[in-house]
Amino acid sequence: MNQMSWTPLGPPVPPPSPVPPPMPVAFSGSRSEFFHLVKRGAALELVTLGFYRFWLLTDIRRHLWSNTLVDGDAAEYTGRGKELLIGFLVALAILVPIYLGYFLIGLEAEHYQAFASIPLVVFFYLFGQFAIFRARRYRLTRTVWRGVRFWMSGSGWIYALRASLWGLLSAVTLGLALPWRTAALERYKMRHSYYGDLQGSFEGRGWEFFKRGWWLWLLAPVAMAVYPLAPFIYGAFKAVEWRWWLSGIRFGGVRIESSLPRSALIGLYWKVIGWIVVLGLVFSAYLGLAAALVASMSGEPFAEFFTSQEFSKSIPLLALAGIGYLAFALAMNVVIRVYLMRDLWVRVLGSVNISGLEAAADVAARGDMANALGEGFADGLDVGGF
Amino acid sequence: MDSDPAETPKSPSEGPAVYFDGMSSRRRAVTLRLADLVEIREDEQALATWAYADIRRVDSPAGTLRLSCQTASALARLEVRDTALTAELVSRCTRMDDNAPGRRGVAAIVGWSLAAAVSIVAVVLFGLPLIADRLTPLVPEAFERRLGEVADSQIKTMFNAKTCDNAAGQKAFVKLVTAIRESAGLDTSVQSGVLSSSIPNAFALPGGKIYVFDGLLAKADNADEIAGVLAHELGHLKHRDSMRGLIRDGSTSFLIGLLFGDITGSSVLIFGSRTLVTSSHSREAETNADGFAIDVMHRLGRPAKPTGELLLRVTGKESKGLSIISTHPLSEDRLTRMSREDQSASGPPLLTSEEWRSLKSICNGKSDSAKKPDSAKKSGPAKI
Repeated sequence: MNQMSWTPLGPPVPPPSPVPPPMPVAFSGSRSEFFHLVKRGAALELVTLGFYRFWLLTDIRRHLWSNTLVDGDAAEYTGRGKELLIGFLVALAILVPIYLGYFLIGLEAEHYQAFASIPLVVFFYLFGQFAIFRARRYRLTRTVWRGVRFWMSGSGWIYALRASLWGLLSAVTLGLALPWRTAALERYKMRHSYYGDLQGSFEGRGWEFFKRGWWLWLLAPVAMAVYPLAPFIYGAFKAVEWRWWLSGIRFGGVRIESSLPRSALIGLYWKVIGWIVVLGLVFSAYLGLAAALVASMSGEPFAEFFTSQEFSKSIPLLALAGIGYLAFALAMNVVIRVYLMRDLWVRVLGSVNISGLEAAADVAARGDMANALGEGFADGLDVGGF
Repeated sequence: MDSDPAETPKSPSEGPAVYFDGMSSRRRAVTLRLADLVEIREDEQALATWAYADIRRVDSPAGTLRLSCQTASALARLEVRDTALTAELVSRCTRMDDNAPGRRGVAAIVGWSLAAAVSIVAVVLFGLPLIADRLTPLVPEAFERRLGEVADSQIKTMFNAKTCDNAAGQKAFVKLVTAIRESAGLDTSVQSGVLSSSIPNAFALPGGKIYVFDGLLAKADNADEIAGVLAHELGHLKHRDSMRGLIRDGSTSFLIGLLFGDITGSSVLIFGSRTLVTSSHSREAETNADGFAIDVMHRLGRPAKPTGELLLRVTGKESKGLSIISTHPLSEDRLTRMSREDQSASGPPLLTSEEWRSLKSICNGKSDSAKKPDSAKKSGPAKI
């Protein structure tokens, strides 16, 4: 693969301000290097039964961050896998008693009415939003550019409360309130984000998001009926969301603009689907081969073997199927990370222009590092992000 | 030797670099002079000096060497693009890669992960059954009864089942249960009932409750067959098998979830209640309950073999691969055991043929509305 694999997508945006011109963001990472990274990471994840995920995630972020060049200077990710592991263990220590309490309260609720404990899930939604906010804070405080780190203030619980109330409104309005929810939450997050002493803000409006994406909202029920349409609609939605989100980000006088076309991400989703189909076929063929092999070794006629009980309980067959399934799952992980993390990152970055960078030319360093507890919760509750 | 950046000499001991002091984001074009220490100079003025031993490599894009210094500000960075200077710095800074994890770091991660996995598996295989055995007698009966009530209402919702209580049938059922219960040495706290569901099944709930589904009565040919099944379920009650299973299976799923980093899993509560309902007893518990049932039947002077025949009739020859049954011994084996240890009937029949007919039609009374044969016939686990 080429060393400089940043490719600008779509037509370049005419510069809105006279001097200096908006600065594109470059990506210098090689695809084969990233592929090697996730391939090795997937193998280690298998060997360590998943524990390696903390270090793999760190390596992925380090690669993406350090190859992202703004105004010629690359960013840096200073987080480490060990921090994530500790965050996970601390989150565990807090979540285990909560789960036990949840179990007992649920038992009491079920005593009065079968399945009455299901509303308790709401509590975990709140917790998940808290985790999202705190995980973002961890990632941001590990992001360094030009020797100055990003950092965050604000309260995770207040954010969780806002997110939950907005979530309720979105549910009631069948998703129509989603753009305004996203905008409000993004305003809260960006208002509490800083680069050194440069405070962030978010200028995206829910109404603009709605204007760009309302037809996708209308098409969503169609996609549920006609599956082949779903990747188009989802891909277009993600592109609209990325563009709107990026174009709203401000740090002091620094303005980010994105020109990501609606169609930019659809191809990625189709490639992933194509790989899933290919891998699924390979996996099925492997299963068939393994079954035939085991059947021929058992010495019984095929038809009899497949209807007999040994077929479903044959240990060699189960072992072969298990190994095949693990290989399948790992290959899927590699595909998803290459296309939906790395390639998506590159495409989105390629659409970005930054103006007013001179405001960030002499920013004083401020802010402390946050712990990885939020990442731990996010991992434990399955709400993780990048 | 001072030089201005425009005509930087390419000598290894001096060269251009970019410096960020970690206090502000100002980008400074500097000259590095490699002497005893690395001198960082901007326009004749020394900004900082770094000792070679303190210099560490940090992440950078390809083609750039980015350095930090352990004694300088944590985020102070030096970026070198000049290849000759890079090579010289790499050769002089002997401890540059000390912070990189390297092979040993990865080996440590792999080793400790495997150790953690082995200990969790060992706990699941050997520790939890032991803990469940020790813990079960300590669980208060009241708590167990409460669990049973939860499972009870869930079962009735899941199978869309109602209790059958047509008078004659109920009378016969109570007579049958009482005879077996007294022979089994259990007190009157045992509750029992027939549920209107076409699934041929019977099970014991924690807290002393046993249920027989109407579907099983329909498949049975005589009272001895049902009596053995009831005795088997009472055996589970006596050994508190569902409580033990709940402790064991609940903690197993929790630990396995931990291992794979998914502490939510499919919500411990949902799993727990599912465990309550299906109560997947191990083969051992089933075998014990069978032994208990054989003893009870013999004490009553009744044969145990009919129960084995009923089981076989319900499950069919188990070569068809009903995987759910794998928590139980094979029906063929159970029948073989019950036949082997069988005695011919020496006591009076447990029910008269009149009573047996009423029991068979216990659900035919007023509860027609509850008889819905569509309730998950195929997914019914044989929990006998």
